[in-house]
Amino acid sequence: MTALQISTQPPQPEPRAKLLGFKVLGVSYGYHDASACLVVDGKVIAAVAEERFTRQKHDANFPTFAIEQVLEQAGASIEDIDVVVYHEDPHTKFSRVLTASFAPFPSSRQEFVNSVKTWLGKKLWSLNGLAARLRISPKKIRYLGHHFSHAVQAFMGSGFDEAAILVVDAVGDWSCTAMFKGRWVEGKPEIERLVEVAFPHSIGLVYSAFTAYLGFNPNDSECSTMAIAAFGRPKYAGKVRAILGALEGDHYTVDQRYFNFANFYKGAVTELFLQEFGPGRDARQPLDFSSLDSAVDGVFDRVVDADQQRWADIAASLQLVTEERILQLGQRLHEKTGLTQLCYAGGVSLNCVANYKLLNEGPFTEIFIPPDPGDGGTSVGTSLYASAVEHGGLEPQDLAYSPYVGVAYDEASDLEVIAHLKPDHFLQYLKRGVIGRQGGRWEHETYASDEALADQVAERLLAGQIVGWCQGRFEMGPRALGNRSILIRPDDLELALRLSTLVKERAAYRPYAFSITDKDALEVLDIAPEQVAMQRWMQYAVPVKPAAQAKVRAALHVDKTTRPQVCSAEDNPRYHQLLRSFGQRFGLEVVLNTSFNPSGYPIVATPVEAMAMFARTDMDALVLNRSIIWKQAPIEDQP
Amino acid sequence: MSASTVERIKIWVAVKLGWALPGRMLEAIRGFQATEADGVWHLHRSYQGLTDPRHRSIVFTHSLEEESHADEFARVYKQSSEYGLSPVRYERRTLYERDAPAWKSFAYVHVGEVDATDRFKAIRANLNEGPLRAALETIIDDEEGHIDLTHDILLEMGAKPREIRRELRRVRLARAWENWLRVGTRMADWVITLQLGLIYYLVGPFVFLLARKKLRSVTVEYDNNHLKQM
Repeated sequence: MTALQISTQPPQPEPRAKLLGFKVLGVSYGYHDASACLVVDGKVIAAVAEERFTRQKHDANFPTFAIEQVLEQAGASIEDIDVVVYHEDPHTKFSRVLTASFAPFPSSRQEFVNSVKTWLGKKLWSLNGLAARLRISPKKIRYLGHHFSHAVQAFMGSGFDEAAILVVDAVGDWSCTAMFKGRWVEGKPEIERLVEVAFPHSIGLVYSAFTAYLGFNPNDSECSTMAIAAFGRPKYAGKVRAILGALEGDHYTVDQRYFNFANFYKGAVTELFLQEFGPGRDARQPLDFSSLDSAVDGVFDRVVDADQQRWADIAASLQLVTEERILQLGQRLHEKTGLTQLCYAGGVSLNCVANYKLLNEGPFTEIFIPPDPGDGGTSVGTSLYASAVEHGGLEPQDLAYSPYVGVAYDEASDLEVIAHLKPDHFLQYLKRGVIGRQGGRWEHETYASDEALADQVAERLLAGQIVGWCQGRFEMGPRALGNRSILIRPDDLELALRLSTLVKERAAYRPYAFSITDKDALEVLDIAPEQVAMQRWMQYAVPVKPAAQAKVRAALHVDKTTRPQVCSAEDNPRYHQLLRSFGQRFGLEVVLNTSFNPSGYPIVATPVEAMAMFARTDMDALVLNRSIIWKQAPIEDQP
Repeated sequence: MSASTVERIKIWVAVKLGWALPGRMLEAIRGFQATEADGVWHLHRSYQGLTDPRHRSIVFTHSLEEESHADEFARVYKQSSEYGLSPVRYERRTLYERDAPAWKSFAYVHVGEVDATDRFKAIRANLNEGPLRAALETIIDDEEGHIDLTHDILLEMGAKPREIRRELRRVRLARAWENWLRVGTRMADWVITLQLGLIYYLVGPFVFLLARKKLRSVTVEYDNNHLKQM
């Protein structure tokens, strides 16, 4: 059985009496994207990121609320847990931090002082902290090296019996890129290290440094660098290739004269870098590119100034060289293992353009990227691994999980609030640019069946409404896959522009994506049939067939690619039903799908957070499970 | 000298002298944004703990106002900074245990509103015309309304005036203690910074060549790839 045939129906929280198996709590925190995961006998019961409960994007603090929630989902308490597993080896990581901060002596005092303060104050004692805060015996605590955590995160949920494993991120303890080979032997996973490329030779750090140079927040807005790359030409690729060297044998090197990886406080890039590439972008400087512009054969009518074009060209060059290096790593890994199935994780595996290149031009027939391939998802992989190693008796396909392993909320008590709301009271607190009207009010209705709900929502989407869609358990990972999404019809550029400016406050150069049913996927996506099943979680930027482009134009980037979610009835029944209902009216089972979050905040978790965004933005309707809330226009405005 | 006088002097020193240093004012605005966002988070937590839909509607509306304040500070920051706004990440803590009466959260919110209003007023008094001052004008108006609103909620949720007074006193004491802890932490931080700076210059000359040699390795030799027990 391959990974892609496995059923990934979200497991429902089970009553406590049934929770008798071997229980592993996975915990990750300390740098970014803290999370917790509960696995019982190899099944993911719940996995959530701390940011969803604290409303702080990429929250790295101890995941108090995430742990509380995963235990609550199972009706378990911390005393029930057999093993707690942590995603890093703090001692090894500290040795790297210390080495890196002494190397630039005598110019790295600030780096040394701040790093050592943080590490001696807290991070070095993470394992003891974990035992103390959870009030459990230290004997229950296990831990793994950072890249090994990513390796098991990639392999454990894949369903593959044997696979090559590639990990590419910024930096873990000592390594920045790693290759492994994974296989199952007598019910237990065996993961063999092949190569680890050492800090500071890091593709992820190079990408983040360029991101900072381009005026975006590193470790958050790498997607913006990837987005503006599509507007540029790779004129600087030669220079970037000289900096981010090609693979020589099993490793590559990064020319450190261009970066301050070991001396962060001096800025991401050096004077030499600025001499080569020109001045960086100040975050206040505009970027006038728009993925919603009309273009003929890649030529846009919008004119941008020379600096903006230079930044886009630099981004395009970086993106191209990153793709080349990932492809080289893939090819080398294939040569070393002889395997055609790949498991891939680490922050760089969020680069959906490079992912498609690896899938399409690389040596692998199947690639598995977990729903949350960054640090947040390590809690899932490590707990699955500990479950398999310590408890045993598991088969690879037993461990497959879906992204819908978050928390679900009932909306009934939130609907009762609506009768008491006076929308006029919050008119002056709407997002900038949103025009509210005096006398408007909120209405709501609850539907008896998914079909009836889907028909109502489909009508609204067809009429050009912006609909918030909040269903069941929220997704693990950075992608909204139809449980915490904002939806519009996919062919309306003006509507997409309204969504960008008055709801999402999102830069126009960032493209949208769409969800499509498995039935219609090949009608729209220009990919091989065997690649369709790998498009479930919005991880690849794939080309769209020319004949279908007009129908999904608002969800396309300027290069006519999109990052699709191919949804089956088995993956997400209610969302699939909506796609089908909309397809009956629109002619294609596809909607534009973007994450349900205000700019700068994580994706919403609870109904009240969804209602707050609905209240302050230009959203027309909000669907909470089987209920729809909508803004009723003032009497005199009604047709 | 009363506490509020001390606070006003602190603010005068911070605004007139501290904010003249590069990045300090932006750092303060980033903190204000985080404080307002923190307020929204607490209000949403309180909302979940309430059962009366009317109370919930009041808290919901209040949270929208605080969220708009957070947006306003973020906007001022973005107008003034060459870097994007990277949010402050507090370790969030709930104010009360789950089984505590719901009204108690609002005692905390009420004291927070009073403190924030006083602080913003003192800052405004020391600021010249500019985007931050303009933002504070609106926000102070709202916060003054919130002081009355949160007090009304306390009464409406069935808390007795005596209980309210006692809880407000307790919250004020707790916040004063937190402030002192913060001052103490800052002082300890200065001492540690100084010590580590000395260690850096004492140890650095003997180890930096080794560190550079170590960073010249292009692959990791030490195999750290297995499950370990603490």
